[in-house]
Amino acid sequence: MPDGQGRPRVTVRSVNCPNCGAATAVRTFGHAVNVVCQSCRSILDAKEAGVTILQQYKDAVPSEPLIPLGTRGTVPGRQPPFEVVGFQVRQIMVDQVAYQWREYLLFNPYHGFRYLTEYGGHWNVVSTLRSLPDGDHLPGDSGTRTYHGRDYRHFQTATATTIFVLGEFPWQVRVGDQATVVDYVAPPQMLSAEVTADKEVTWSLGDYAMGTDIWAGLSLPGRPPEAVGVFADQPSPYQGVTGRMWRQAALLMALAAIVWLAHLATARQKPEFSQALVYNPQSVQDASLVTPVFELDGRASTVRVETATNLNNQWMGVGYALINDETGQTFEFTQELSYYYGVEDGESWSEGSTANSVTLPSVPPGRYFLRIEPEGERTGKPVSYSVKVIRDVPTSLWFVGALILVVLPPVVTSIRASAFEHRRWQESDSGAGESSSD
Amino acid sequence: MSKVYLVYGLIVIGLMGTAQYRGWRLLPVTEGRTVPKSVRDNPGSYRPVYGGFWHFGGGK
Repeated sequence: MPDGQGRPRVTVRSVNCPNCGAATAVRTFGHAVNVVCQSCRSILDAKEAGVTILQQYKDAVPSEPLIPLGTRGTVPGRQPPFEVVGFQVRQIMVDQVAYQWREYLLFNPYHGFRYLTEYGGHWNVVSTLRSLPDGDHLPGDSGTRTYHGRDYRHFQTATATTIFVLGEFPWQVRVGDQATVVDYVAPPQMLSAEVTADKEVTWSLGDYAMGTDIWAGLSLPGRPPEAVGVFADQPSPYQGVTGRMWRQAALLMALAAIVWLAHLATARQKPEFSQALVYNPQSVQDASLVTPVFELDGRASTVRVETATNLNNQWMGVGYALINDETGQTFEFTQELSYYYGVEDGESWSEGSTANSVTLPSVPPGRYFLRIEPEGERTGKPVSYSVKVIRDVPTSLWFVGALILVVLPPVVTSIRASAFEHRRWQESDSGAGESSSD
Repeated sequence: MSKVYLVYGLIVIGLMGTAQYRGWRLLPVTEGRTVPKSVRDNPGSYRPVYGGFWHFGGGK
């Protein structure tokens, strides 16, 4: 009966179960085709004036809905309030393993029916489509389908079996009903087609929803079940993040390169001291010596000490101590040099080098001298060598280190995003294909 | 996430610039010992902290 504005009046009637006599409320008025007795689970024909039993399943394992029938409230993305009027559990078999999900039928007398599906703590708010996706009205079991300009990639094709029902339904429902379900995903949405044995096709569109939002909208007590794993249309937490990070990484690397080039351009590389020396390994005299005092000016910065020799199939080690003539502060370091060459089996070879260098960090300005202690083979030939001290030399080590540190976070994020997508698609019968999270 | 990364990246570049300017090194050289001026008169009296050299024999 319509109200004053022509809308149907909201009423609830009840039917008595012919099997157990229990009264079961019917909330969807003339929409209800089947009603399930909430006491004995008998499926009743609600369209007939005299209610008849369509199916009894005494051995069925009861499955309590997480959301009780009769619950009213809003669901994400659907503003008007709906009431939970039906509940069914459906199952698919993959590699002898049963996967079950739960479907809640929602009803609003002015907006019709919606569905809430839940699998492993992942929820979708589902509406039946009023227009078909592009292409054939029948779903395929591969490829993509386009709906309202958006491409949905095939995820899974399976035969779903209804294993438990409760409440009322606007269609003929039986335990044991089977239908082919084909899912296509474009997170956070899922396009699904359900094909019955007589080739009747129903297309629907699901929007992924957080369990906490469902619980808040329906004013349910407690907390929703924890989501397990990655669901087919679950939005990736890395959606758009990796691309943005890589763009920022490019900017940061460019900035680092500018700072590095400025460092190269402004480094003075000023020669402060050089001396030519001779070391005779066969001499019994102490070979250690000190250089004249030289000035290291400017701010605290690097100092490079270069050693160049005329080594000829021999080695030489030089122990250095850079000593501040005023404070006695000392920087100790060594350089090892060796240069060998020859011909073996008609092939010439050489290894080592006649020159080497050491760069000292943050040497304060002041007057310094070097204490030098050469060492070599006792039977070796005399070696001519030179020592050169250069102030404020540039280094690329920090630039390389900065590049690594800048690139590391987007690399890690990309790996994690890829792992997320891999976990999503490994549940698909289309295989663990790659899918961009951007 | 990306804002945090941007701040992190700017800090890294700031440290890089500072390290380059100040001449920092990750591996420090032996430093800090105070040597008397008399070492200039008798260099052989100085006892470095490093050990002997590895005597490379040479040859292929």
